[in-house]
Amino acid sequence: MRGAAGLTAAGFLACGLVLMSSAAVAQTPLPGPAPEELRNIQRHGPWSQPVPRDPSNRVSGNAEAIALGRALFFDPRLSPSADLSCATCHLPERALTDGRDRARGGGAAKPRLDRNTPGLWNVGHGRWFGWDGGSDSLWSFALRPILHPDEMGASAAHVARLLRGDANLACRYANAFGRAVPPEAAAESALVDAAKALAAYLETLVSGASAFDELREALARGDATAAARYPDDARRGLALFAGKGQCSICHFGPNFSNGEFHNIGMPHMVEPGRVDPGRHGGIRRVRADKYNLLGAFSDDATRASGSRTLHLAQNHGNYGQFKVPSLRNVELTAPYMHDGRLATLREVVRHYSELNVDRLHQDGEALLKPLRLSDAESEDLVAFLRTLTSRSFPDLNPAPGPCERRGA
Amino acid sequence: MTLKHCARAGCALAALLGASPGAYAACDAGPGVLRGSTSRVALAFRTDPPAIKVGELFSLEAEVCPEAGTSVTGLRVDAGMPAHKHGMNYRPRVSSTGPGKYTATGLMFHMPGQWQFTFDVETPAGRERIHVDYTAQ
Ligand code: HEC
Ligand code: HEC
Ligand SMILES: [Cu+2]
Repeated sequence: MRGAAGLTAAGFLACGLVLMSSAAVAQTPLPGPAPEELRNIQRHGPWSQPVPRDPSNRVSGNAEAIALGRALFFDPRLSPSADLSCATCHLPERALTDGRDRARGGGAAKPRLDRNTPGLWNVGHGRWFGWDGGSDSLWSFALRPILHPDEMGASAAHVARLLRGDANLACRYANAFGRAVPPEAAAESALVDAAKALAAYLETLVSGASAFDELREALARGDATAAARYPDDARRGLALFAGKGQCSICHFGPNFSNGEFHNIGMPHMVEPGRVDPGRHGGIRRVRADKYNLLGAFSDDATRASGSRTLHLAQNHGNYGQFKVPSLRNVELTAPYMHDGRLATLREVVRHYSELNVDRLHQDGEALLKPLRLSDAESEDLVAFLRTLTSRSFPDLNPAPGPCERRGA
Repeated sequence: MTLKHCARAGCALAALLGASPGAYAACDAGPGVLRGSTSRVALAFRTDPPAIKVGELFSLEAEVCPEAGTSVTGLRVDAGMPAHKHGMNYRPRVSSTGPGKYTATGLMFHMPGQWQFTFDVETPAGRERIHVDYTAQ
């Protein structure tokens, strides 16, 4: 970290020189980033980074489990009415979202759910899952859409039957878990295993570097020519993001999220008379969840990975807090916020610019103040957010080879 | 209260309790040691990891050095960002590891910026509150 900062300063100097010398051409000479801003920029990398192995999931990183998880992700038979797969809401062609404000459930009713479908690229870098962080692991989250009556509405028995009844799935299961799909009486462990395979797959969904990452790297190694390729408007937007906009305080680190929860004054009324309690409900949910990291289904014998859950504090301020979303690929995942209320990035920036201070109720973020950005500044900030789109994405659903039973 | 005073008080107490001479060394300044004091107690602590990472749980080991003749009966640890008017999202658990010695686990600074530790030291004569500032980057 220290070393990187040193390098960076050199990079910045070199870059600032180039910016100055090209000022005559570029009309608006850009001041180079201030040292503090420069440090903020460096903190948003390196990228991309593989997801570390999850000690609570014994098949995390296991190739057969990843293949099983991938097959399940795209398989509508996971829902008893065979009309809903994970990919129905997390569409590959929409950066794993559905483009709706709030998701539609399954079955005949297709109920409107309370929340927006988030994208799943880089989801494995998170620590809490769901907008309220109601799950403390990827695998325990994956159980929710499977079991929820408004979504897939499946049961453990249904999932165990699916795994057992399909030769390919059964073969992958046996290879990944080293045993045959458990019998009916132990269906719950088959269900949890299916969720762990799904999680192993989701952990592989890491997107490649973006134009921003190229700038960051260029600054770090002092490559002024490469840094100059980054567009000027985005450069000004980045200065706002990491500087007076204070965005990077919450949208922190390589994945542009501190992994925690804040109240940014978004309304959280679901319908007249019913509010989304946000993080307050999430803490209640994760504590009560028998699949949490402190429970019997975690494969981490030390329970060290459950430390966050163990130490959770709950207070009134948690009402109306939602998870700080990653901003990587945010250009591709409209509409925005926990209920998809804002249609465009421009509207998001307007929210931060005009911020209704009264709505940021008593426990809201004292940090947030209306930024009162000019139109040009708002455009710059949006231009910056667009440079967080990865240039490459791994193939989501490569044709799997046939499963060959190992060591049987 | 000066650093020396603390060291002296610590040593006096250590002698009183028959502890080994090095037992209160943590109350001296040293690499990675953070300190704070009131007129009646001083406190020295070390965080693990030494450089607190934003968004990662950390723990700390604290040693309380009361003025001679006083004992320490308990310690509470908390932290917050005064400028943002919020505390931590996690509640640390404190356990005693020896006379005047404590370990706190489950702390997290979830935003970069100016944080402040608050230590409440319980003594038979009442509670002493010590604040220590910390900048998380
Ligand atoms: C009916 C639409 C729908 C289906 C089907 C669905 N999801 Fe989701 N997904 C959502 C919504 C909505 C959320 C946000 C839920 C919340 O915050 O409460 C979400 C959130 C998630 C998250 C958390 C992301 C984050 O950043 O916190 C993961 C992981 C996830 N889904 C995986 C899956 C998997 C795996 C499946 C299949 C087993 C699946 N989803 C099926 C709509 C859906
Ligand atoms: C106090 C912490 C905090 C600060 C500061 C902050 N954000 Fe956010 N941001 C959040 C939270 C929390 C959400 C989700 C809120 C919700 O869903 O209700 C969010 C949502 C967003 C979204 C929508 C992403 C999505 O996938 O739906 C964008 C874009 C965004 N912020 C950009 C910014 C920009 C630009 C700034 C600076 C002007 C900024 N944020 C400052 C916490 C913060
Ligand atoms: Cu803060």
